[in-house]
Parts: sequence; C-alpha cells; structure tokens
Amino acid sequence: MSPNIPAIIVRDLVKTYEVPERDPGLLAAIRSLFRRRVRAIHAVSGVSFTIQPGEVVGFLGPNGAGKTTTLKMLTGLLHPTSGEALVFGYVPARREPDFLRRITLVMGNRNQLQWDLPALDSFELIRAIYRLPPAEFRATRDELIELLDVGDLVRKPVRNLSLGERMKMEIIGALLHRPQALFLDEPTLGLDVTMQRRIRAFVAEYNRRTGATVLLTSHYMADVEALCRRVIVIHHGRVLFDGPLSELVEQFAAYRKLIVTLAESGADLNAFGEVLAQDGLRYTLRVPKAMAPAVTARLLAEAPVADLMVEEPPIDDVIEQVFAVSNPL
Amino acid sequence: MDLARIVATFARIGILNELQYRANFFFQLLESAIGLATALIGLSLVFRHTTALAGWTPAELLVVMGIYGVMSGIVQALIQPNMLRLAQDVLEGKLDYALTKPVDAQLLISIREWQVWRFTNAVVGLFVIGWALLWMQASVRLDQLITFGIALLCGVIALYSFWLILATTSFWVIQIESLINLFEGLFAAGRWPVSIYPSWLRVLLTFLVPVAFAVTVPAEALTNRLTGPTLALAAGVALGLFVIARLFFRWGLSRYSGASA
Amino acid sequence: MLQLFDFYRAAMKQAILVQFQYRAANYFYMIGMIAEPIIYLAVWSVVAATQGGAVAGYDAGAFAAYYIVWTLVRNMNIVFTPYGWEQRIRSGELSGVLLRPLHPLHYDIAFFAGWKVVVIVLWLPIAAVLAWLFQPTLAPTWLEIAVFAVAIWGAFLIRMMFLWLLGLISFWTTRVAAIYELFFAFELFLSGRIAPLALFPDWVQTLADWLPFRWTFGFPIEALIGQLSLAGLLGGLAMQAFWIGLGLGLVTLVWRSALRRYTAVGG
Repeated sequence: MSPNIPAIIVRDLVKTYEVPERDPGLLAAIRSLFRRRVRAIHAVSGVSFTIQPGEVVGFLGPNGAGKTTTLKMLTGLLHPTSGEALVFGYVPARREPDFLRRITLVMGNRNQLQWDLPALDSFELIRAIYRLPPAEFRATRDELIELLDVGDLVRKPVRNLSLGERMKMEIIGALLHRPQALFLDEPTLGLDVTMQRRIRAFVAEYNRRTGATVLLTSHYMADVEALCRRVIVIHHGRVLFDGPLSELVEQFAAYRKLIVTLAESGADLNAFGEVLAQDGLRYTLRVPKAMAPAVTARLLAEAPVADLMVEEPPIDDVIEQVFAVSNPL
Repeated sequence: MDLARIVATFARIGILNELQYRANFFFQLLESAIGLATALIGLSLVFRHTTALAGWTPAELLVVMGIYGVMSGIVQALIQPNMLRLAQDVLEGKLDYALTKPVDAQLLISIREWQVWRFTNAVVGLFVIGWALLWMQASVRLDQLITFGIALLCGVIALYSFWLILATTSFWVIQIESLINLFEGLFAAGRWPVSIYPSWLRVLLTFLVPVAFAVTVPAEALTNRLTGPTLALAAGVALGLFVIARLFFRWGLSRYSGASA
Repeated sequence: MLQLFDFYRAAMKQAILVQFQYRAANYFYMIGMIAEPIIYLAVWSVVAATQGGAVAGYDAGAFAAYYIVWTLVRNMNIVFTPYGWEQRIRSGELSGVLLRPLHPLHYDIAFFAGWKVVVIVLWLPIAAVLAWLFQPTLAPTWLEIAVFAVAIWGAFLIRMMFLWLLGLISFWTTRVAAIYELFFAFELFLSGRIAPLALFPDWVQTLADWLPFRWTFGFPIEALIGQLSLAGLLGGLAMQAFWIGLGLGLVTLVWRSALRRYTAVGG
C-alpha cells in the first residue's frame, strides 16, 4: 500500500438513532404498538478525519461522546446515517469479506474464545474462519504468544485464566489474521497496572513490526500518552481537537503549576496565586496559563526563591478541562 | 406469628414488583390459552380412538388436566422461580446474602420470588375443573371438597420438596437448564392419571418422583375414586419427601458453607 | 468450498471436544427428555390395548419402536433456540460474529452438528435400555437404515433454518414468546411429535404433508420403523431437500434485512 493514500478517511460522518418513547402504564404500552413516538439521539454529528497507514491515534472523549459509535461505523457494525467512511478504500457498512479480513476490533467484553477449551483450540477455529495458510498461521500465532509472553497458558482451558490472561488471549485471537487496522475499544479496562503496561508495550511493538494502523479509545491517559502521538478528541458527537498530544495540552491547559522552594520562611505566596499545597518550604501554586510568565518573574524578584519549576498539569486534568470548557449547557 | 409475617412481607414486595409489568399478564394469558388448546387437542386425539382411558372418561381426564394446570401454575409462580434462584445463587456464590439473615435458610430461599402472573395457569386450571364437573353433572359433596383440598396441599408439598431436592443438587453439580428440563419432563407425566403407566413406572412416579401422584390423588378425590389408604399414602409421601428434602438441603448447605469459607 | 469444509471440520471438532467435557450434563439433559415420549407411549399403549391390540396400524411394539426412535430424532432436532437471539443481540456476541468474514449460520450449523455426533454416541446406551424395557418391533432393511441416517441430518437442517427464521424476529421485537409458543404448539401436532400422524384425521395428515414439520420428525421415524414404501422413503428425502432449500432462501433473505435493521439501530 502506498503511504500517500490514507488508511482511514472519515467525512461528515453522522449517526442518529431513533429511540422509541412511551409513557409508563399498560394503556401506553398498547398504544405504542400502533403509533410509535420516537426521539432522535445524535450520537455522532459530523465527524471528519483522516488517518495515515501506520499511525497510532488516540480517540478521546467522555462516555457517550460518540467514540464507540464511530468505531462501530468504521468496522461495519453500524450504518452511518449520512457522511462517508472509507477504510483501505472499502465502505465498512458493506461488510465485504476482504474488508473484514483486514481489520480487527478489540472490545473489553468481547468473547471469541471457547470457555471450556484451551485457547489453542479456539485459535485453530479462527484459522479456519479467516482461511489462513497453516504455516503462516503458526508463525503469527507463535510470534504473538511470544510477544505477549503467555507461553503455556494457551494450553489451559480459558475458564481457568485470570481476567488479564484472558484479555491477552482475546488479543491474540483478534490479531491472528494479521489485520492492517486495529480498532481498540478500551483494551485495558479493568486490568491491573502491570497488565495494562504489558498490553501497551505490545500494541506499540505490534505497530512497529507490522506497520498496522491503530485507532484506540481508553479511559487511561497513560495508554494514550504511551502510544499515541496524535489524538482526536470528540465530545457531543463532534471533533473538538485533532492533533499532537502536546498541542492538546498547550491549547487546553488553562493553568500552569509553579513549584517553588523558598530559601527562608515567612513569605506569603497567596499573593502570587492559589496555593494548592505546602510542604515545609516547598509550595505548589496554580496560576492561569497566560499569567505564568509574569508571576514567575515577580516571584523571582520579590520572594526568596531557592528553586522554581513550571509544570504542565497532568493530561487527565487537561482532558477534564477540555470537556468542562466545551460543555454547552 | 413471625413466620407468617415474613412470608407476607416477601409476598407483598414480590407482588408489587410484578405489578409494574402489567403487560406481562396479557402475554401470560396468551400462553395459557395456547397451553390449554394444546392439552385439549391432545385429549381429543386420544378419545378419537377410544372411549375411556384406563377407566377414566373424557370428562374425568379433563379434571386431571385442570388440576395439572392448577399445580403447574403454583409451581411456575412460586416454586420454580425460587428454586432456580437458589441454583443461580449457588452458581454465582451469592447465597451468602441469604444465609446471613436471621431467618431459617430454607424458608428464606423458598419465598424470595413471586411471579404472580404465572398464577394465570392456575386460574385457567380451576375453570377447566369447573367445566369438567359441569360436564359430568357431578354434585360435589363437602367432604369431597375437603379431601380434595388436603390432597392438593399434599401434592404441592410433594412438588415443592421434589424441586428442592433437585435444586439442592446444584451444590455439587451445577446445571440449571438440566434441572428445569428434568423437572418439567417428569412433571408432564402428571397430565395423565398414574394408572395408565406400566406398574414399574407407577411405583417410580408414586414414591421416587411423586410428581404424577401429586396430580392424580386430588383428581381421584373429585371423581369419587379416592380411598382412605390412598389419601394417607399421599400425606405420608408428602411428609416423608419434605423431611428428606429438608435434611438434604441442610447437608448441601453445610457443604456450601464449608467450601466457601 | 474446500475452505468452508475446513471450517466445518474445525468447528465440529471444537464442539465435540466441548460437549464431551459436558457428557454428564448432556446425559442429565437427555434423561430429562425421555419422560415425554414415555408418557406418550404409555397413553397409546393403553389405547391400543383397549382397542384390541392396535390403533391405525400401530400395536404396542410399533408404538414402542416409534417412541424409542423418537428420542434420537428429538435429540437431532434440538438446534439454537429462538429465545436465545435476544441475548445474542444484547450481549454483543452478535457484533463479534459480524466482524468475521463468514455467514453466522455456518457457526450454528457446525457447532450443533458437532454436538449431534456426541449426542448420537451418548444415545446408544439409552436406546438399549429403552428397548429392553419396552420391547419394540423393529426390523429395518438396509435401505430404511440408510434413508434414516440421511433423514435425521435433513431434519436437523430444516429445523435449524426454521428456528433461525423465528429467532430473527427478535431483531424487530422482543415480545416474541407468544409467537414461539404458537409455533411449537403447531409443531407438536403436525410433526408427529405427540403421536404418529397416522392417528390424526385425514385432513391433518394432508396439511402436514405440505408443511415443514413432519419432515423434521415423523418422516425419519417412520422411515426406520418400516411404515414407508420405497416411494415414501425417496419422496420424503426429496421433500426434505425442498424444505432445506426453501429454508436457506428465506434465511438469506430475512437475515439481510435483519442485518440492515441491526446496523441501523446498533443492537
């Protein structure tokens, strides 16, 4: 595939659900059989972006922002109400077998493994479903087993595995056909920190080795920070931001944190900004972003400063900020 | 009485909860109607080929069918939902919630679920019995009614105890679907009087799995067949089964507490 | 085609492995199911006895044969329940299946077909016990055995398709229980499940000829117990082929619009 042709193109994608509505009570239930009242829910209202082959993009937004709806439209599980989605030139909603063979969707709760059998047996079935040549299948399988470091676990019945181990098996199962696009919906949800880190490292390595395009949603900013240079933020079904993660922080962080260590006690730092914490002579101040340079200069001039650091707020706070600012009431 | 108060409280909560889903009543009514039609067609098919079945006339068999309906209504509304919940709780390890209450565990697990709409089958069954009695132009004496009531009560106790024994097996083997399947399969034998079965099966259906017996005895009371010894036997079977079920449940429970500790 | 065969081989093998693990549960289930035919058998044996030994050409031995073979046919007949579709849609299981480049009907056919292999093996001892208890008259010819062996799989496929069709209604409404009950009530009488169709009035038998039910139940049984002529045997297989074809066509059609609906509302 030529690197100039985008892997994913999304133009003005819209998804509107019609939800039946009825009043409580028996009479209303019977009436609704004949005349249905519906309410339109705008899950996605005009989303556009393009993703190049090999990119790893974080897809961020609060619950109900339209992330999962968009992922489902990109994988052919949902028909867009209007607009266009193209993945490797395929229209996902047509669900052509050739398209399905090139993508994968990993969802936290998905269960493609036989509960009572070792994962190896389930992998064998996946081989048959995707019509993988045996030699190629074995090579991919063993590579994934090694990458995720699951070793002999593939020989244990799935029901005897821990949640994290099972998730690893699900991921192997989802990648056996070497998809060129990975849609990961909360892949680390409910896993402990070590396991989250392991899966993160794996996704990065998989992307490096195969050049696959990755679009990932996660509640854990650590996932996004570790994996994605680019993020797309959506809220209320619209794209709020699309660009490098660093720029997001730059654009939306309304505050800076100043960490000041004084040489002697006695100064009142409340005059410079909001004191968030004090530990002996070490103060943490919060000041509006625009005023940070001025406050810093004043501090150095007027207070007995021994040390001063300017910190950007943690990404979680920034994201919270993004959604708070843009909440149209 | 404390016991009655607890049962009444659970019943009230359960019924209030079910009343929220009033539309279910109509669907249940529809299902009951289909069930009744099926039973009647089955009966008419048999009597296309014969005038009496092991000494039972069509109208008398209708009585059996009506009592079967009454029993299955009670089973589906009260017994089966509670027993399935027991099995489910054991499966999911949630029985501890019930066991930590200061009430007899067996009582508590037996009264938690009330699927009141399921009583529709019982009401339909009563109508069928009434219809059959009119057809036979039978005049039912008071003493017959009393023995009928006693026999019915014995039957319900026997069915409850049998279900409890089945559900208690879930402490060892967990197979909820098989439990329903097994109970319903055996209980269906009660659609017909036990006297039609080969003798070895009749013994089985009276003593080992007295599900058919539970339906036949009340029917005998209404059709002038019931003898004193049979009624005594029914009471004995109900009592014996209840004791066995209680002991078995306790044994299972002690195993459960031991295993989860 | 060869690749589809490979899939069936893998999926059936998996189902067999799983179901053999659950052989105790399978036995439990099969034993619970035996009560039903034994009840019918008891009723009809009594009727036959009061009518001088036989009704509509069935004597006690023939009834015994009918209802013992019934137990295998019934086991072959169990397919994915239409009640299960609501759960499939709600749990997201369906989404997982839709992501794969294979029609989901294949999964169900392959899985249940594998299960049937286990069922047949487990059934043999049950049949032996029943035969010892009820003394059936059963002397099939090789042709009848061969037709039976094909017909039980035909019955399985027809019922698979039609229960799939019923289940697909779940895509439009969840109030389906009454529809299913009605379907099963019709099936009970028109398939030969409750009694051999020969015991029904003529018009019912004619009706049954033109509906799918009897080809999933009564036909395989009658084939083995020697109730059918050569024309009846071969004609029955042809009818099975017809209903499989029709069922497949209907499933394809309805599945397409069910899918359209699913991808419009998202489960």
